[in-house]
Amino acid sequence: MKQISLSIDGKIVDCSAGTSLLKAAEANGIKIPRLCDHPELKPVGACRLCIVEDQKTGRIMASCVTPAAQDMAVLTDSDRIKNHRRNIVRLMMAEHPESCLVCNKGNRCRLRQVAAELGIGETRLYAMPNASPFEQANPFIIRDLSKCILCGKCIRADHELVVVGAIDYNHRGFKSRPATVHELPLENSSCTFCGTCVSICPTGALSPHAPAGDRPFVGTPEREIQSICGFCGVGCALAMGTAGDRIVEVNPSQLPGTVNKSTLCVRGHFAHDFLNAAERLTHPAIVKDGQPVSAAWEEALKLIASRFLEIKKAEGPQSVAFWGSSKCTNEENYLFQKMARVFLETNHVDNIGNFFGQSLVRRMDEQAGGKCRINRLQDLDKAQVILVLGANPTHSTPVVAYYLKRAARQGIPLVVVEPRETELVHYAALWLRIKPQTDLELINGLAGLLHPKMGDAPALIDQQTPGFNALGASSGSLELERIGRITGLDVRTLEKTIELLRGKKPAIVVGNGILQQKYGIHSSAAVMNLLLIGGGLGVTGAGIYMLAGENNQIGAMDMGSAPDLFPGREPLADDGVRRAWEQRWNTKLPSNPGFTVAGMIEAAEKGILKALYIMGENPLRSLPQPQRVKEALQKLDFLVVQDILNTETTQIADVILPGAAFSEKKGSFTNLEGRIQSFSEVVSPPGDARPDWEILDQLAVRLGKHNAYGSLEKIRTEIREFVPMYKDLQDCGQGWITETHPSAGVADTAAADSLISFSAAESADQSPDKDYPFEALLGALRFHLGSGTRSTHSQRMISFGIKGEIGISPEDGVALGLQNGDRVAIASKYGGIEREIRMEEGLGRGQVYIPLAVNGNDAMNLIGLSDLTEPGSSGLKMCRVRLSKV
Amino acid sequence: MEPPEINWDKMQSIIDQHRGEKWGLIPLLQEIQEEFGYIPPTAIEPVAKALNLFPSQVQGVITFYAGFALKPKGKYVLKVCRGTACHVKGSRSIIRLMQKELNLKEGETSADYQFTLETVACLGACFLAPTMLVNRSYFGKLAPARVTSLLDHYRKSKEDKTK
Repeated sequence: MKQISLSIDGKIVDCSAGTSLLKAAEANGIKIPRLCDHPELKPVGACRLCIVEDQKTGRIMASCVTPAAQDMAVLTDSDRIKNHRRNIVRLMMAEHPESCLVCNKGNRCRLRQVAAELGIGETRLYAMPNASPFEQANPFIIRDLSKCILCGKCIRADHELVVVGAIDYNHRGFKSRPATVHELPLENSSCTFCGTCVSICPTGALSPHAPAGDRPFVGTPEREIQSICGFCGVGCALAMGTAGDRIVEVNPSQLPGTVNKSTLCVRGHFAHDFLNAAERLTHPAIVKDGQPVSAAWEEALKLIASRFLEIKKAEGPQSVAFWGSSKCTNEENYLFQKMARVFLETNHVDNIGNFFGQSLVRRMDEQAGGKCRINRLQDLDKAQVILVLGANPTHSTPVVAYYLKRAARQGIPLVVVEPRETELVHYAALWLRIKPQTDLELINGLAGLLHPKMGDAPALIDQQTPGFNALGASSGSLELERIGRITGLDVRTLEKTIELLRGKKPAIVVGNGILQQKYGIHSSAAVMNLLLIGGGLGVTGAGIYMLAGENNQIGAMDMGSAPDLFPGREPLADDGVRRAWEQRWNTKLPSNPGFTVAGMIEAAEKGILKALYIMGENPLRSLPQPQRVKEALQKLDFLVVQDILNTETTQIADVILPGAAFSEKKGSFTNLEGRIQSFSEVVSPPGDARPDWEILDQLAVRLGKHNAYGSLEKIRTEIREFVPMYKDLQDCGQGWITETHPSAGVADTAAADSLISFSAAESADQSPDKDYPFEALLGALRFHLGSGTRSTHSQRMISFGIKGEIGISPEDGVALGLQNGDRVAIASKYGGIEREIRMEEGLGRGQVYIPLAVNGNDAMNLIGLSDLTEPGSSGLKMCRVRLSKV
Repeated sequence: MEPPEINWDKMQSIIDQHRGEKWGLIPLLQEIQEEFGYIPPTAIEPVAKALNLFPSQVQGVITFYAGFALKPKGKYVLKVCRGTACHVKGSRSIIRLMQKELNLKEGETSADYQFTLETVACLGACFLAPTMLVNRSYFGKLAPARVTSLLDHYRKSKEDKTK
């Protein structure tokens, strides 16, 4: 870039050609006031506060949209400029309502700041109030457009950052205002309530709606403390506003280098009021005569330790298990599994993140030789092509969806493989409307046909990438007609897909649609093949982006929360690995792999498992066949549940321990990129609740020879030393997973070939079932996370009243004589539920869509409990159902 | 009375002609406005989809320009000029007469969707002052009698058509 020099306020500055005057001034410490400028948005020159005067020509220019030129000489604060600025602000203030005294924006208001800096107390103009309707029906955002100064940041953020397009300017001149389509209220528009506009609005025109309750908060938070969101796997950086000891507002963090920058989603922004719910656990409780009785910590911990040790002594270590937690911190997961392995000598350690797909992610990691662990979302803008498989990020991980949509707008082709017409489909260069659960055929076919050595002798290919022959031989897996028949895609579309992918290094986004499907174990392996064949391993802008649904499902696995893994993803089966850990922890360690979550339920049913410690999980709500899970856990001799809320599972526990939410303790989470984010407490835990790591530390002392760590820093030091993958774990701020096998230059080499092996498994017969004629797809809603344990305690979500209606295609609706809002009974071979229906254009005939999390997550009654890694598993994504009007 | 029904097949074919056009929004909207007299709000979504825009952006463009309307106008749009020359030549009484004759205020459309009364700042035919436009036809050197006979003519032409 050509360097130029110019003079600003008499000071000679250098910058590259094309830089705006505003940026050039900023870079040299010269402050220019502005209202419509934002580092992430394209400058528009709307507010005209950034004007500067050209000394040579006398022209007045908006510096944000004026490129610097060689030998320019500008003044940023001449008398003429000052006068114009004051007039601009005076006019804005004359149009502004005089409600500063009660406006919640308070001192954060940029208009107020600019006016104060310019010394404008009175405008001395006739007031020209611009009355606009006051919109506050939805529980998330309050719109008072009489305060709008037309900076356009809300519209620009909506279009450029989150790419939803719910609002745009309507009319012109004095009547100009941001408006939704048909000027409908936000809840009847395409607004996703991400709240990005609220955080970015410089005045009080857009503000967050305080959740309903006895003490709705009024005013601005007293202080803002940084944290990391505890909902999905993106791990957005938050600035949490507090008043007293309560969190009252959440905004995106202003720190540089965060994954979410200025965006959030409706959960991260507005669902955190669950932290103040009345159902928070505040005291330990021991169940006596069927009733939970408040107890002191000492008593509770002593009881737990003695019961566990006594059961272990009587029935052996195979009778005790530890379950948790894809929501708790890295440090807590490390302590948890260490406690289980060292003091209870059991490998029955697992967490629900593994159950819901992380176990397959781990296999893909092994298949790639650990060379694919860091995938930065910001690199998606360098992708050559992005393939989205079985994912609906606009609901599961909204910030990922923003990245994908922005990439699509930049011109990067998006290929979306998805049975229903989701929002992401509208940004796709190609939409492959696949029959549910036939992705295996498609991916295998694509991988085989894109094999760079296609055309070589099959024997040769088979030599380097075993299984290829079997694939080719298995009745034409590479024939487009056959693939088309099975997947329901037409040959032309398949050909176009292959053309789009050929020769490009793909970025592949993989969601639960793949991981949790019936052939997940094969499909996920096939995805890795596709990546390797495309040469995408170790290339910036390519790779596999696994949409981790939970904030720390990756970290939990990394810290050894798995029945056959040590911390650092080291396999239990490896004797050398186990001996190393025996040395580190100075103890003998059991070598038999333990039970998975599904295995623990079965073991409890059979009476093999006698004692279970559940931390930060709610299996009675999140697992399939909830009644069966409840009965199994009720069979246990001793059940301890450590959680932050009163849940379905705490109801059947023998001892209940109150833990702390992420905002109430120190810790770190690892997000779906491999970013390890460390955070500190924002407020203290409620009542007598304690950070979970403290509870485990104190419990370990009572379980055996354990010197209490006493501080989180000590635990971190141990993790850094023993887990090389986590040597970049910070005490504050973010680090990254250290890839133990650096992946430079793996693409296109024989080494990559050696990682590919095809499995010729086929999607089994998809013929319709007379008794259960519909295919029900289960999926996420952006307003809730997972099973909804936390988000259904958010007062705002409760007020919003999401019914989670079952989606049915209009044709089927008409055929069954149904109308929107009718109640239906849906049954699978495992169980039944009742819900209202809603016609959904984007669904095919014979398909229904059932949202999770709502109604006590009752959709889980329709699915069978099985582990995804079992070849016979029917998966957790889809089931066959029948519908009847109630 | 209901506004005239929209022929959706015609609407669809107009939209299809401009599908995927890079700067096609305004020409497309102009065609719809020309064909139907207004842009039905229910057309916003199909137009947006065809041009790969947000519906809110389409609505933004429609509301920006006075030439586009989201509400149907009458069969005869009467635009009375209130520019300087016309004003001097008595346009105010012309306007008042028309308001009384049609029982419409400025900007309103009659219930039978026959007439819309509007005023404009200048028609550029000052030598014919006072002037008015009926759809695309200019009428100049107006006098109260002339105005009354004009309105009768347009009213009758409607009745003729319904015979």
